[in-house]
This record gives sequence, structure tokens and C-alpha cells, in this order.
Amino acid sequence: MSDVIKINGFTNETLGWKAWLDVVSVETATPEQIRILEASHPQAKTSDYYLLLAHEPEILDHRSETYNAIMYAPGGVHRADRELAALTVSRINGCVYCASVHAQRFEQLAKRNQIVADVFTDPATAGDNERDKAIIKLATALTESPEDFDASHIQALKDLDMTEKEILDIIHAASIFGWANRLMLNLGEPVFP
Amino acid sequence: MSNSDSTDLIDDLLGLDPQGSTHAARHFRTKVLKGTQASYDALFSPAVGLSLSYRWLVALYASRLSGANELAEHYLEQAREHDVTEALIEAVESGQLDGVDDTVLEAILIFTRKLIQKPVEGDKAALLALKQVGVSTPDIVALAQLIAFLSYQIRLVAGLKAMQALEKTA
Repeated sequence: MSDVIKINGFTNETLGWKAWLDVVSVETATPEQIRILEASHPQAKTSDYYLLLAHEPEILDHRSETYNAIMYAPGGVHRADRELAALTVSRINGCVYCASVHAQRFEQLAKRNQIVADVFTDPATAGDNERDKAIIKLATALTESPEDFDASHIQALKDLDMTEKEILDIIHAASIFGWANRLMLNLGEPVFP
Repeated sequence: MSNSDSTDLIDDLLGLDPQGSTHAARHFRTKVLKGTQASYDALFSPAVGLSLSYRWLVALYASRLSGANELAEHYLEQAREHDVTEALIEAVESGQLDGVDDTVLEAILIFTRKLIQKPVEGDKAALLALKQVGVSTPDIVALAQLIAFLSYQIRLVAGLKAMQALEKTA
């Protein structure tokens, strides 16, 4: 169990999430809904989030396919770097639930947690090294003002010897949290322990 | 827009050079590429209950609010091809929602603006307002997924454009 960090309303504790609308019941779900729930997440059949999204199974299916490929696929950038981008975007968008999940994932993969406290405090100054800082800066720029995002943001990571494949992995992770945060923030709310 | 396996909206919109490094990086992540396109196809499928005209207008509005010009032009073209009225297109393009003479669409566009610009301010009241004007739970889920997907698509396109610009100067 990692140290509990609570700053600015964000936490790395395990939170619940409850939907504001009626969710699909596992008892009455169609075989297609069950198949897609099972492919989406190991605990999807007991999760309000997935049971709500299961009202539109085909959309959920392709969302999960995209999300899982971005966050878990082998090769490319280290998974801890993808989690750092996810954590940063969740912090900026104000998604307390997502930030808690991805703070934990980052800690598990990277075996360090000071940066979690620093991102919760202020993403603009967070990062244990130049690489962390560059990832946080890219994720921040893409989240806050995609219309101003330009080649200089890519060059900053290339200057740290990151390849184009690795840089695109970070762009994918930052972008998919524009998607994930909006669902979590607008279809329900976190439940605190 | 064809839904064949060979069509990729983002590659086409940006004109990514098939011999270039940005295209190569993107096509290394085949599952992401296919999942992104399949999500687009599912969100604009006739199988979804929410009016397709509403969905093109939401997409046009979200991309204009985000300054995503390539996507906005694409969604404008789609709205026109699907017989959305010029009056509604004009209201969305100008952001003058009081010109929208349809209470359901107006509630949907207000929800879109909030979710695109200030997602943290999206609250239970904004969601229940959609129910009050008669939008069903599956249609609200489709709408929320659409707006959230657009937020992703806008950022992915911005990221790829920046990579493409750097590639061209190399």
C-alpha cells in the first residue's frame, strides 16, 4: 500500500464512482452487451461506469479497443510515461476519480510517488527530471489549447532523444484522457471512502 | 464518407505522407488507428437513436469551439450533405444559440459547449436538463461519448499536425 497523498481535492486513494443515470442491469443485458463489458475491463460487470456506457454497446466496444491499445499495448513508450500523461490531463481537467486511478497506476509502474504530489500541487512545476517535465508540458499544452499546439512541442521531446513512435504514444495517452475525463466528469461522480 | 477498411478520416484530412515518419508512427499503432476510425463510424452510425443531424451539428460546434479547422470543415461538409438546414449551421458557426428554434437541440448544444470548454463544470443538473427535454438515457450516453470522442479526435489531429509540420522541416 502506497502513502496516502491528498492535495487540492485530489487523492491517490481508491475511490468509487456512481452514475447519475440508470445503468444496464447484468441480469437483463443482451449477450452482445455482456461480451463487450467483459472485453472492456475485468470488473466492468460490477462498475456503474461500464454499465452506463453499455447502453450504447458498439460505441463502448470501440472506445475500449482504442483505450486499451493506447494505455496497455507493448512497445513504444514506457507505460509509466503514458500514465504520467493520463495523470497530468486528469489533474488539469479536474477529474478527481481519474487522477486517483492513474496516480496509483503510475506509482505501481514507476515505483516513485513524489511526482504524484507535485502534479496534484501544480503540474506546471512538477517532474523529477527533464523527461518527466517534457511529458507533463506536452500533455498540458495539448489539453489546454490544442489550437496552439505546434512543432516546438514535439521538438522538445525529440531533443530528449524520444522517437516519433514514443512521442505519438504520449500524444495518444494525453488525447484519450480528453475523452475519458469527460465521461467520468459528466455522467456521474466519485464516491469517497 | 465510406466505411471501408481502407478509409481513414484523419490520414485523409491531414494528407499524411505514406512514406513519412508521422504516418509510419501512426500505422505502428494499428489497433489505435482502427479503434479511432471504428469509434467515428459507430458514433455517426444510423443505428444510434439520437438524430444524425444533431450529431453533425454537435461535431461542427465542438470543432469550431476548439479551433480545429480541418475537422470543422469536414463536419460542415457532412452537415450539408445530410441536409441540415443552413439556419442551424449558421447558428452553430456563429455560436448564437438563441437562433436555434428547437429546445432539444439547444439543450444538446449547451451541454456540448460546457463539456468541450469546462468539463469540470458539467454537473448533474446539466445532465438531467437533457432528460427533462426528453432525451433518453441511451441517447445521452451516445451524446456524451460523441463529445468526449471529439475532444480526443481534436487533440490527436493537433498532435499529428505538429508532428507532420516538424517532419516537413526536417
